[in-house]
Amino acid sequence: MTRHGAPGSAPTAGRGRWRDLRRLLLYTAKRLLALFVTVVVGVYLTIVIANMGGQVDDLRRVQIRSEAAEAARADPAFQDLSPAERNELIQRQVALEVERLRLDEPFLVRSVDYLQRALRLDLGRAEQMHSDLGSRAVRDIIVERLPATLLLFGTANLLIFFVSVFVALWLSRRYGSALDRSVVALAPTSAAPAWFYGIFLILLFAFVAPLLPAGGMVAVPPPEGRWAYALSVVRHLLLPVSAMLLSQIFISIYSWRTFFLIHSSEDYVEMARAKGLPSRLIERRYILRPTLAPIVTSFLLMLIGLWSGAIILEQVFNWPGLGSLLFQAIGHRDTPVIIGGVVIFAYLLAATVFLLDILYAVLDPRVRLAGGRQ
Amino acid sequence: MSETLLRVEELALHYRTRQGAVRAVDGISFDVERSEALVVLGESGCGKSTLAKTLMRVLPRNVGHRSGRIVLGDVEVSALPDERFRREVQWSRMALVMQASMNALNPVVRVGEQVAEPLRVLRGWSRRRALARAAEVFELVGVSTDFLARYPFELSGGMRQRVVLAMALIAEPELVILDEPTSALDVLTQASIMNALKRIKRELGTSFILITHDVATSSELADRVALMYAGQFVEVADAARFFAEPAHPYSQMLMASVPRLHQRLRPEPIPGQPPSLFDPPGGCRFAERCPHRFARCDREPPALPFGDRHRVRCWLHADDAQPGDDS
Repeated sequence: MTRHGAPGSAPTAGRGRWRDLRRLLLYTAKRLLALFVTVVVGVYLTIVIANMGGQVDDLRRVQIRSEAAEAARADPAFQDLSPAERNELIQRQVALEVERLRLDEPFLVRSVDYLQRALRLDLGRAEQMHSDLGSRAVRDIIVERLPATLLLFGTANLLIFFVSVFVALWLSRRYGSALDRSVVALAPTSAAPAWFYGIFLILLFAFVAPLLPAGGMVAVPPPEGRWAYALSVVRHLLLPVSAMLLSQIFISIYSWRTFFLIHSSEDYVEMARAKGLPSRLIERRYILRPTLAPIVTSFLLMLIGLWSGAIILEQVFNWPGLGSLLFQAIGHRDTPVIIGGVVIFAYLLAATVFLLDILYAVLDPRVRLAGGRQ
Repeated sequence: MSETLLRVEELALHYRTRQGAVRAVDGISFDVERSEALVVLGESGCGKSTLAKTLMRVLPRNVGHRSGRIVLGDVEVSALPDERFRREVQWSRMALVMQASMNALNPVVRVGEQVAEPLRVLRGWSRRRALARAAEVFELVGVSTDFLARYPFELSGGMRQRVVLAMALIAEPELVILDEPTSALDVLTQASIMNALKRIKRELGTSFILITHDVATSSELADRVALMYAGQFVEVADAARFFAEPAHPYSQMLMASVPRLHQRLRPEPIPGQPPSLFDPPGGCRFAERCPHRFARCDREPPALPFGDRHRVRCWLHADDAQPGDDS
């Protein structure tokens, strides 16, 4: 560099940029690796637990034996076999089935096999359950239930999130008012879960005053025509959405309001007031903007939380979503369905966390710049 | 040149609390001339910051009582409704450098944008024009214009303080209120900021109200000194006079408590505690701690004139009063 005379700033800047880029790539790679390991551990634990550490195999073997025996007894072709021959036949059938399901291999080996198939998103086939169209593929079963859950929880959670953030921001500017104090007083109502309110809502609005349907997603038989169908779905949505709203809105407003209250007592907010900025601008640039990172985090986590649905609420409202699917799968000990659901959730969670890492850097210069400098 | 810029008459501000009213500012009158620096001295909790906030109208919500007149130039500012005050006076004629300047900048907005913001919002200037003006003010307070595109966390404490000062000067206000601007900084940085303030006063003719508890640092900038005690000004005087021969017993004791170079005597502490502002004592508020206390101190002294632009709240300086007088 001394040959160029001037202490060349361009090469230095270029080298600095290259160094930053390398550091960024290294950081990204590290994060991805860490998240991948998390997903692997999570999925593997699920496989072990859903198979009860291999004990489900014993149950399954007993089941195969009894099924083979039943089949041998029921089949007229085998009526005239001697007991020894029949036993041998059953033995052969069982061995065949055991080999087909690879139950002869140790669970440890198969669990690793499950794991790598699960990680490739090869969800496999359900053992007992099937989709309403009759498909045994776990993917089909899940995809069939997904829209119902997304519709119900998407509507309710988006409503709760946006209503509570904006009401909270509004309240935090008027804390101590009668409205604010009543929200604080109502916050403990969220101690009861949504299904608890659901039961009372069903009692009140479906039986005492039969205005709305008690459960299901659409009237039976489904109404003809797109609009009539949509209207029916909306009518079925009202009660479960209200139940979720009732159980979550107050605590949500309360916690966001406290969050905004803490952040609106920052010195720079008071400075903005002294600067004579209009209060809308203060809310937007001095309260919302510095706190965007936690808000976005909770929004994204809420979004992927939709995936799991809610087991009891869906049962109470007889809603054909993923929550009740999981409930049924656990009842049937249908491990591929359980594992399939968890695998997708694990991937969604990992992708969200990775996205958040990037979003933090975009939203907050302290993350972006300090990370590149030290 | 001795044109009065700010006149404050009988300003009072009380906070509402569960225990009752806190009389943080209780009947303060003073004036500031153009291109003059008034230093408000006082102990912690005597109402200094409340005075600044009352002038700028950035008060918390629990204000119980507010009265008095504030006249800036020829406008009675205290009579303006909030919205007009915000548009016409706040920051464009009167600016504030807050006590906690370290944290006075929005952490996620570039420093230059924040400094230029009042011009863009209050005057509707274009971004380019406002940023050019911000660069000018940065040079005025001694910050490199490279910092315009930086974020607050990239600046040192002294730099941040200068940026906040630049923000206060951006709209060329006639009056800048500085609430303990240097108390969080080291001595060298304090001195260089004080020098910047002196230069700005000289070059731009800006008036300052400097609120502080630091007698030594304030003496550099002061033209006038007001000493505050328990929500009241006990003495207002020219700086030279105040530092040389303070009239109020509290001023005398305060000056005696300041350590000086080449001083033989030990600095004298002032015994006792300032009174609670919940329910200040009936008579003179300093009487409890005053060595010259006499019977008349049970009644509240008015701000008695004591020479040219010099007022003292003490019966010792009443024309007809002598210690031992029982009237």
